[in-house]
Amino acid sequence: MTVRFEEFDGVGSKLFQINWLLPVLAGVLGLVGVLAILSANNGIWTHGAMQHGVRLAFAFLIMLGVALTNIRVWYTLAYPVYFVALVLLVGVEFLGVNVNGSVRWLQLGPIRVQPSEVMKPAVVLALARFYHDLPAWRVSSPLGLAGALFLIAAPMALVLRQPDLGTSLLIAATGASLVFLAGVSWRIISLGSVLAAVSIPVVWQFGLRAYQRERILTFIDPARDPAGASYHITQSKIALGSGGLSGKGFMQGTQRQGGYVPENSTDFISTVIGEEFGFVGSLALIGLYIAVIAACIRLSLQCKAVFSRLLILGLTTTFALYIFINLGMVMGLLPVVGVPLPLVSYGGTVILAVMGSFGLMLSAHVHADTLLPRND
Amino acid sequence: MNALSTDPNKKKPTAKSEALITRRTAALGVGGLGVFGILAGRLYQLQIEQSENYLALSEDNRFNFRTIVPSRGIIRDRYGEALAANTLNYQIELVPEQIDDLDLALGRLSNIVSLSDREIAQVKRDVSRKPGFVPVTAKDHMEWDDFAALNMRAHALPGITPRAGEGRSYPDDGLFSHVVGYVGKANDADVAEDDDPLLLQPGFRLGKTGVEQAADDRLRGKAGRLQIEVNARGRVVREWPGKSEKAVTGEDVYLTLDADLQRYAAEQFGEDAGGIAVMDVMTGELRTLLSMPLFDSNLFVSGLTQAYMDKLNNDEKRPQYNKVYSGGYPPASTYKMAVMLAALESGKIDPRQRIFCGGRVRLGNRLFHCWKRQGHGSVDLRYSLKQSCDTYYYEISQIIGVEAIADMARRLGLGQRHGVGIAGEQHGIVPDPAWKRERMGAGWHMGDTLNSSIGQGYVLTSPMQLAVMTARIANGRSAVSPTLFAGQDIAPFPDLDIDPDHLAIVQDAMWSVTQEPGGTAYRPNGTGLPGIDMAGKTGTAQVRGISLADRAAGLHKNDRLPWKYRDHSLFVAYAPYDAPRFAVGCVVEHGGSGSGRAAAIVRSVLGEALRRDGLGQQTQNATETDVL
Repeated sequence: MTVRFEEFDGVGSKLFQINWLLPVLAGVLGLVGVLAILSANNGIWTHGAMQHGVRLAFAFLIMLGVALTNIRVWYTLAYPVYFVALVLLVGVEFLGVNVNGSVRWLQLGPIRVQPSEVMKPAVVLALARFYHDLPAWRVSSPLGLAGALFLIAAPMALVLRQPDLGTSLLIAATGASLVFLAGVSWRIISLGSVLAAVSIPVVWQFGLRAYQRERILTFIDPARDPAGASYHITQSKIALGSGGLSGKGFMQGTQRQGGYVPENSTDFISTVIGEEFGFVGSLALIGLYIAVIAACIRLSLQCKAVFSRLLILGLTTTFALYIFINLGMVMGLLPVVGVPLPLVSYGGTVILAVMGSFGLMLSAHVHADTLLPRND
Repeated sequence: MNALSTDPNKKKPTAKSEALITRRTAALGVGGLGVFGILAGRLYQLQIEQSENYLALSEDNRFNFRTIVPSRGIIRDRYGEALAANTLNYQIELVPEQIDDLDLALGRLSNIVSLSDREIAQVKRDVSRKPGFVPVTAKDHMEWDDFAALNMRAHALPGITPRAGEGRSYPDDGLFSHVVGYVGKANDADVAEDDDPLLLQPGFRLGKTGVEQAADDRLRGKAGRLQIEVNARGRVVREWPGKSEKAVTGEDVYLTLDADLQRYAAEQFGEDAGGIAVMDVMTGELRTLLSMPLFDSNLFVSGLTQAYMDKLNNDEKRPQYNKVYSGGYPPASTYKMAVMLAALESGKIDPRQRIFCGGRVRLGNRLFHCWKRQGHGSVDLRYSLKQSCDTYYYEISQIIGVEAIADMARRLGLGQRHGVGIAGEQHGIVPDPAWKRERMGAGWHMGDTLNSSIGQGYVLTSPMQLAVMTARIANGRSAVSPTLFAGQDIAPFPDLDIDPDHLAIVQDAMWSVTQEPGGTAYRPNGTGLPGIDMAGKTGTAQVRGISLADRAAGLHKNDRLPWKYRDHSLFVAYAPYDAPRFAVGCVVEHGGSGSGRAAAIVRSVLGEALRRDGLGQQTQNATETDVL
């Protein structure tokens, strides 16, 4: 067992030690995305497919950079990143740029950042650090619970105010699964579940905006608004369903050609795959995602430090939730909330966030033997 | 830090928490797999189980049918001449999305074709209401010159296309307007009672009046369908002729009318108002069914101006009113044949019996005048018709009673609809006590009988009904009814059931009217065809009672009255006398005495009808050939 103290020591050998399964799977998914975006834009490379490819390549480099950075750096930065993200979120509250009726963006000089996107990995970092530092026996204690609750609730409330229901639920779910993984007692889990169930009507009444309530109601009863929000879902289901077992063939989707499914380069990209490659293609896509998640879990199990494990698992949870919510929405199982399909949907921020989190996972795995301070 | 990791007391809880995390990871992993299972199950449901449904829905999304409007059937006369035809309708179509600056484009267009401010406003409204790729009609029913000019310069006007569509047109400036009718766009009421998809097509025209309306089912044809593929915005992506159905052109409809004879009749009327019906006495086929003056039904198709509409509505000759068919006129003396036949049938009147006419008859304290002030002297039945002596009928009607007269009038085809098949046919009125009680709630007076006996008072008939009456008298055996649609199955006519001897007496009397010197409508060689005699009867229907004051002022002279107060001129006739072919009923509104205007028109029309039927002297050419 070699113990390295130098954060950037032995970059060459580290590249060897990186688990290459995850990057390869991510690359395959990205390629699927390139082809799907190509089809969604009638085979025109310059209408997104090329940009997607370029972004993937760029994000791949970022991932490697993150992976090669010593996990101690990330460990040290966990709280600062979280607090910067929190400050940015507060900044959105006062200085945010309004896009399509919700204030999610912050203009910082030439770049426009979406603090809620930064917050997703930041919450995971902070919680992983929190549980790493917290003695195991205090996980279910009032102090442990209060700390975790604060780390989750503060960003959640700020994101909800933007309003961005999807991201705020994502943060909540990721946070909850980390609390669960950290080993909180079953008594607390049941209590928490009951509290969550009770709070639903309260959130419905005071936490949600009218359009959010409308979306959920439309989801429950599509007849409320046949031409509006449910049009999305109806057309999306038609695209998927008409694909049948083996699909209509690459670039042959009629729903896609007719432009019946809106946003089919971004959130509804899986309708293109489902329509043109059918059930077989959809299952293959799901299979790919399962493989990615399994690879991530394997990485976590090969780590020893609580921080590393929880970091990997937390980021994996976020990744998995993206997939669940996106596919559930496209298939009409969940309301339309505007969550992209990671690596496949067109959009730079998500690619960067996902590849960045893969980088963090790989960093944790490469530096599995690095000791992190712990005070049990 | 080293101390931390090497402290043996702290190692155990770390291992323990490691194991806990692993267990929890496994639990969460299984949960995640479960969610993926749900997603896969949902995919199975959508893409395998309900796939056919969704495939059908996606086809529905994609495919649409465009209705193709069939050509409308042609309405023709008995010889095939078109009375309503389809002609090219020159239009300008404009596709908004291909035009950058609508004002500029319309400005350029109006340099070539005249566009009124109203048309420009209409185009702008249509453009703002419809999606950019839907063509808007900028101008309809263009002149050929304009259309040709536009075609020459179309290349300089992107987004503007000259188009030749199909439109309905009626030759002869409305010679058949009343009978053939016209077409128009389907209105809300039409759409409500007819679910044919054609009615929703902008290019489709529906029969609104006359034959166009009555035979619309046959004329309309069957809509075709063109399968088209559309995108989410409704734009046509491509056409699929394979799955399309051709439109079936509407059937041609043949009428019994003779266009040339109708044209000839219209010429005879000239400026006069009224109606004339020429009918085959054997088959009941109508050769002419003309109402004067005419109006141009083409204007109802291409768009009526308010000015023309006002002109039509304010014309005291009421051009739109179908006088020959829907009109109700007192038959006046033409009713006397019915009275005569009723009298003969009653057996109470001997045709040789003479009645003295002193120019008037007193009934109670009322005086009933004969048209001849000084009286006809001693009059028998034949002479009474020949001279149209009113006194004779005043007297015999009191003997036989009004019921007998009304019954005979009905048997001759008056007071009833004949079901020719186009809308607007009127019953007319054949009054009797029962009718008066029901309609007016008043009792019948002998005065009413006297008025009825000379076809005045309540009696109303249409020119067509008069033709039917004349045809039945001429036919003598069957109760002929008129038909307008050629080639339709007609049930054999019922027996007329009038004693042939009586009919012979009436026919002879009608002959004397036109063929014997002294008859009210006598002209040597009346039909203009040597050797062909006609039989007829004049009628002069009083429009307004002449008061004593009028008489004193000399206003009873008909031609000095304002037009609308003058008498109607009526004439009925058939020919040839010995082998009848055609019967005519004619009313000239406010045309004065029946022996004048109406008789003149009927003589020429009847002569022309016979000539066209191959009787008597033929055309000019035929005569010349004879000479040679």
